[in-house]
Amino acid sequence: MKVRALQLGTVIIALGSWELAARMGWVDPLFVPAPSAIVPALMRISGGALAGLADTLGKAAVAYVLSVVLGVSAGIAVGSVRLLREVLSPYVIALYGIPKILVLPWIVLLLGYGTTPAVFYGVLHGFFPIMVLVMGAVRDVDRTLVTVARSLGATTWQLYWKVLLPAIVPSVLGGMRLGVVFCLLGVLVVEMFAGVRGMGYVLGSYANGFQAPELFAATALVSAASITIVLALDHLNEKLSRWRG
Amino acid sequence: MTVIGLRLALLALLLAIWEIAGRLVNPLLGVPPSAVVPALRDLLLLRSYPDLPASILLTLREIGAAYALAVAAGLACGFMLGMHRLAGRAWGPMLAALYAVPAVVWYPSLMLFFGLDAASKIAFGFLLGFFPIALAVLAGIRQVNPQLVVVARAYGAGTVTVFRRVMLPAMLFTLVGGLRTGLALCVIGVVVGEILGSKAGMGALINHAYGLLRTADYVALVLVTLVMVVGSDVLASLLERRARRWTE
Repeated sequence: MKVRALQLGTVIIALGSWELAARMGWVDPLFVPAPSAIVPALMRISGGALAGLADTLGKAAVAYVLSVVLGVSAGIAVGSVRLLREVLSPYVIALYGIPKILVLPWIVLLLGYGTTPAVFYGVLHGFFPIMVLVMGAVRDVDRTLVTVARSLGATTWQLYWKVLLPAIVPSVLGGMRLGVVFCLLGVLVVEMFAGVRGMGYVLGSYANGFQAPELFAATALVSAASITIVLALDHLNEKLSRWRG
Repeated sequence: MTVIGLRLALLALLLAIWEIAGRLVNPLLGVPPSAVVPALRDLLLLRSYPDLPASILLTLREIGAAYALAVAAGLACGFMLGMHRLAGRAWGPMLAALYAVPAVVWYPSLMLFFGLDAASKIAFGFLLGFFPIALAVLAGIRQVNPQLVVVARAYGAGTVTVFRRVMLPAMLFTLVGGLRTGLALCVIGVVVGEILGSKAGMGALINHAYGLLRTADYVALVLVTLVMVVGSDVLASLLERRARRWTE
């Protein structure tokens, strides 16, 4: 109760002092508009911005599904074969760590403007964290379980389906939680860098046009959407882990 | 031994595929390694981009400034939230929720506010680096066994001693990991900021080469930037190892 009050109080105080600073002329409204100016801007842009948001979320969803499917299967494949894992893991970690923005210009040269580079770049962002997590989880599966299952005559298929898969579910869920933000990030970056549609493009063009209230409203819209998605996934995660016991 | 051999073989295979594919496609798009080497030589001899040293220096300075700010603010914020139970419970989740927003949505606003120069890159690098550091401090403080603190206090240890002898060793593992992640994200933030819009620095050079379809120069510039990125992480990992040895 106290926690909620404090949270609410913080938001109100932050918005209040922001409004005050804008009204008193401490910040230039050309760059930092007052919250009271952002609300009407939100109404003004809602048509175009919601279409852009839908476009972005659509691309991010495709990228996300691809990242999860490819990341989990690559993680299982590479994680469960020891030689493969030892040879590939430094490459995977390196690819995970480097700033992918460096290859973005080349991706745009190759794939052009539009949906394909956005999805590709989104997958590039989402794939590696999922794969790295799943790879680690497969490696750390209790060897005793595998040995026991084997000695009781489990086939390879059964080993994967009945032992490995249940053991790595938490990591898969963790990866899915992480991947969604990365996919959204990748799609937004492409749209900002070389987009003709979508929320990243909308944000970029408001910034270039010095339309600060519209820019802040659009930023708030994307932020709210992404926080909602992540909280929903967290909630789902919690439910699933309670169900697993 | 065989593992390292196979790793090198894989690298050679990838380079060979790249060479073959690079020769087959349009030379504006595909640059085989054999074309990258002369471009890299020209770049390092300052023939293609004479302002390379200045650009490297500018980017490094932006990274340094962003990281210094991120460490200072991250540690301060993390300790403030970690030490006060109520503040931590109220603002911790808010911090985590903000962390869930893909940070790049803030960048256009930062660019509008701070302009196209170094300040907007520093601000964006700071924004990316701040969260992992603050959240690592928070997580680290939670790992400290409260009974140890109580016992140390009961034996007359002061606040400074408790912090230095009990809390720091217990949380160092997490803290140092957060500091390393923070550095990596600061570097990414500065590079992303420069590529999305700048007038100087490595990102501006990369954009210049890409815009003029000087693809070989572009690849060479990317390689130089990668050396900077990897170098910073190697440095961080050395410091990390040192810090861990200190706790043991």
